[in-house]
Amino acid sequence: MRSLVLLACAVALPNVAMAADHGPVFGYATPVNSERELSLDTGIFGRSGSRGTQFSTSSGFGYGLTPHLTISAFLPAVFGSGSLSESRMTAGGEWYAGASWRFLHSVTTVGKRVESTASLGVVLPGPQQDSGLLATLHRAPGVAGTVATGVASRSQYLWAGGGYTRFAEGSHDRRPDTVSWSGVYGYRPPKLRRGYDQWDYRGFAEFTGEHTGNVTTNGHMLPNSGTTTLWLGPSVLAIFKNVAISGGMQAPVFRDASDSIYGREHIRFAINFSYLRYSSHTSSH
Amino acid sequence: MKNVTMKTVLLAGTLAVSSLAAQAEYEQVNLTVFGMDCAPCAHAIHVSMKGIPGVKTVDVDLNTGLVTIKLAPGNGAAMRQFNQAVEKNGFTHKDATVVARGKLTGTASAPFFEVAGTQDRFALTPDSSPAGVSALLGKTVTITGVLPQAAKGKVADTLRYKTIAEAQ
Repeated sequence: MRSLVLLACAVALPNVAMAADHGPVFGYATPVNSERELSLDTGIFGRSGSRGTQFSTSSGFGYGLTPHLTISAFLPAVFGSGSLSESRMTAGGEWYAGASWRFLHSVTTVGKRVESTASLGVVLPGPQQDSGLLATLHRAPGVAGTVATGVASRSQYLWAGGGYTRFAEGSHDRRPDTVSWSGVYGYRPPKLRRGYDQWDYRGFAEFTGEHTGNVTTNGHMLPNSGTTTLWLGPSVLAIFKNVAISGGMQAPVFRDASDSIYGREHIRFAINFSYLRYSSHTSSH
Repeated sequence: MKNVTMKTVLLAGTLAVSSLAAQAEYEQVNLTVFGMDCAPCAHAIHVSMKGIPGVKTVDVDLNTGLVTIKLAPGNGAAMRQFNQAVEKNGFTHKDATVVARGKLTGTASAPFFEVAGTQDRFALTPDSSPAGVSALLGKTVTITGVLPQAAKGKVADTLRYKTIAEAQ
């Protein structure tokens, strides 16, 4: 069991950093798995820009060790090339090691809770190269941390979160540090506040932002290689008992990035499928 | 002859106790749960409750937070298991209205209700006007009452009964 947990930790992805089975597809959110809950996820993320479209997938699982501590493991893959800047808000070509801890959990009334979740992990280079400037760099591991806080209720959801990723230097190259943040508002109309044996729909407005530092190559910092982008767009989450489908898209509302270094990104989109398997285990009295 | 009579009495007593244990149990638990906002939350509670041996049906109302659990006769389910099923999914259990059969023990001024087959034992207090329970002491009774919210990992030690009657 200990080996399995260590193996899972070695490839785990910070749960709130990716499309979650209970929340938005781009932004940070707080839900974690129930104790002994196994969640299986597969998602496709697209980033389309002036130099092509890049798809990435993340398929894997999450497992609730306790009601407030979840580990997850994902298999990353990247297709296409867009010569795009570093991004931590969409799936990339890296493995991660980490876990998510819901350190604040307060229920205030029926159907409503206030909670905060933190994730910490290690970023490991995946088998595939990036495209554009990032493809020229020797990749090294990094550390990634995220924090999200918010309110969930039968009618509305509100989450805010932020993250930071820092990469180590490898052969005098270093990928840019990344600061990311998000704000998500969700709404479930009265007509859709139905029984759990019917489809459960929610709509979200997702605002995300990222700032990446300069790239270091051959020991020198590359001028104008840092970027700042802000994104806004809708997403929808549909759940039937233990199956969830979510999808959304975002358009840039602000972009400060060098067009000579990176492709001009026009749109981001994502689709995520989740299967949740809950444990019926209870101790005998 | 005296030996045979004694054996008969012991056998009858054993059968009576066995019968009592088999008939004493929770029949229905209506548990209010806070924090469930979505369908997977309710599904998680449903799966966890159904995993408790003896649970026959589970209904979850997301808009009221009410989890209605009906149990099969002869079950040995304990209140702690229902609370644990809520806690493991990251939610909070509040008051529970229970219908249960068990033995009334203690004294007329300090009665207790014991759900046989479990370790559940509750001090009884009337929910409104006190009803006379002295005539029921030592008997198997059916009680409808409210268990107030207990801390995480705990079960309330007092049952506020609304109705109490000798079990049929």
